[in-house]
Amino acid sequence: MANIAAQRIKREFKEVIKSEEVAKCAIKVELVNDNYTELKGEIAGPPDTPYEGGNFVLEIRVPETYPFNPPKVRFITKIWHPNISSVTGAICLDILKDQWAAAMTLRTVLLSLQALLSAAEPDDPQDAVVAKQFKENIDMFQMTARHWTNVYAGGPHINTEFNEKIKRLQDMGVDDHQARVALSSYNWDLERATEQLFS
Amino acid sequence: MGFELNRFQGEVDEELICPICSGVLEDPLQAPVCEHAFCKTCIHEWISRQPTCPVDRQHITSAQLRQVPRILRNLLSRLSINCDNAQYGCNRTLKLDTLTSHLEECEYNPKRPLPCEQGCGLIIPKDELKDHNCVKELRTLISKQQQKFNDFQQELTEQRFIINEQKRELQLLKDFMRAMRISNPAMRAIADAMERDEVLRWSNSLTRARVTRWGGMISTPDEVLQLIIKRTLSEVGCPSHIIDDLMENCHERRWPPGLCSLETRQNNRRHYENYVCKRVPGKQAVLVLSCDNTHMSEDMMVEPGLVMIFAHGIE
Repeated sequence: MANIAAQRIKREFKEVIKSEEVAKCAIKVELVNDNYTELKGEIAGPPDTPYEGGNFVLEIRVPETYPFNPPKVRFITKIWHPNISSVTGAICLDILKDQWAAAMTLRTVLLSLQALLSAAEPDDPQDAVVAKQFKENIDMFQMTARHWTNVYAGGPHINTEFNEKIKRLQDMGVDDHQARVALSSYNWDLERATEQLFS
Repeated sequence: MGFELNRFQGEVDEELICPICSGVLEDPLQAPVCEHAFCKTCIHEWISRQPTCPVDRQHITSAQLRQVPRILRNLLSRLSINCDNAQYGCNRTLKLDTLTSHLEECEYNPKRPLPCEQGCGLIIPKDELKDHNCVKELRTLISKQQQKFNDFQQELTEQRFIINEQKRELQLLKDFMRAMRISNPAMRAIADAMERDEVLRWSNSLTRARVTRWGGMISTPDEVLQLIIKRTLSEVGCPSHIIDDLMENCHERRWPPGLCSLETRQNNRRHYENYVCKRVPGKQAVLVLSCDNTHMSEDMMVEPGLVMIFAHGIE
């Protein structure tokens, strides 16, 4: 790993550890390997959003050319959000692409991602299905996102109605996650989700 | 890239840190409007990818980067840093502005050039000294020089070839000129005028000489002396069409009537001072050109002039 990248990441790692956000449990970062090329980030779902109470784990890969190129970040925790792929966890955020600036750090990236959770950009989507739901049925979107937060990120809000529908599909032999994706995509319409799964 | 933070004694202020490499600023430059400062190499590397300030994304170009204010440079130069060669045993702590000069002479530098003491005398980086083999190194050196020598030899041959070609062409041109001069009177006049101009130009480029002892004039200079003077004339750019005549005229048998015998010389002694003489650099000789001496009486001059060689007395 280039000297400059290692020097930067070491320092930024310490910066995050010492930051007040860590004290408030809002962000967290851990080393995955010894040479600082891969890290594990964690952000808390912001209050007053469907993600509240959830903890979202991120994979952070530091390129050889860091900080001249942005770190590669994706969500490992599954999440229902217009700018994050519900399949791969890929993120659509300008600062992780062409708007990256060399003075940005792990801390500012994590805080930006947290801000993205509070303020989605449905007109610049990463997941078209989620973005469509967000624009057409915001209540349904919020319920779905809250449900995903409960199941994958340890959020507190259990949705018994949703769980029952998933149970019905599971009984038909469908995998739990597949059932959730299908139902989420069809606004929890059991019939249409079933049709899609078995067509 | 900046200096690693852990090499410094005590706290380093956040303002002295490069936002790109997170080291202490090295050769800092600042952005024009927002005045954010970065290491020179860091900011050039960034701008080569994206023409913006890495902190606030304002548009900037390499040409707009400025030196940072003196106060910042002074603060930086006051910082105390460990020597680069600390891991090799140097325990010096230096002010940042003296680091470079220290590194040049730091005896712990593993790459410090040292002369081999086994006899070959080559200068070798310290860390390579233990694996150094005089014979092997010298052989490499010889083969390198041999290669260079061969290259030069080849170039010389090529240059010689080119020169010969050009000589031939020049000769051809001269022959043409001569033929045209003979066949066409107008050409002859032009060629004569050109030659006269050339002599005048040359004469003007020479400095005046003063003869203090006319009695030192050698009337019968030998071949060797003549050859030496001729070579000097050629070196100072004497036009080729007069050089042979000038040299011929340095012997008393070709001198003008007013100088040709001891008796006439004694009679005309008082006119000598009127000669306009030009220096022949580094030699006890002067040039008396007819174009400089139109004021002299005819029996005191010959065409196109003459070289007077002296035993001494030229200034």
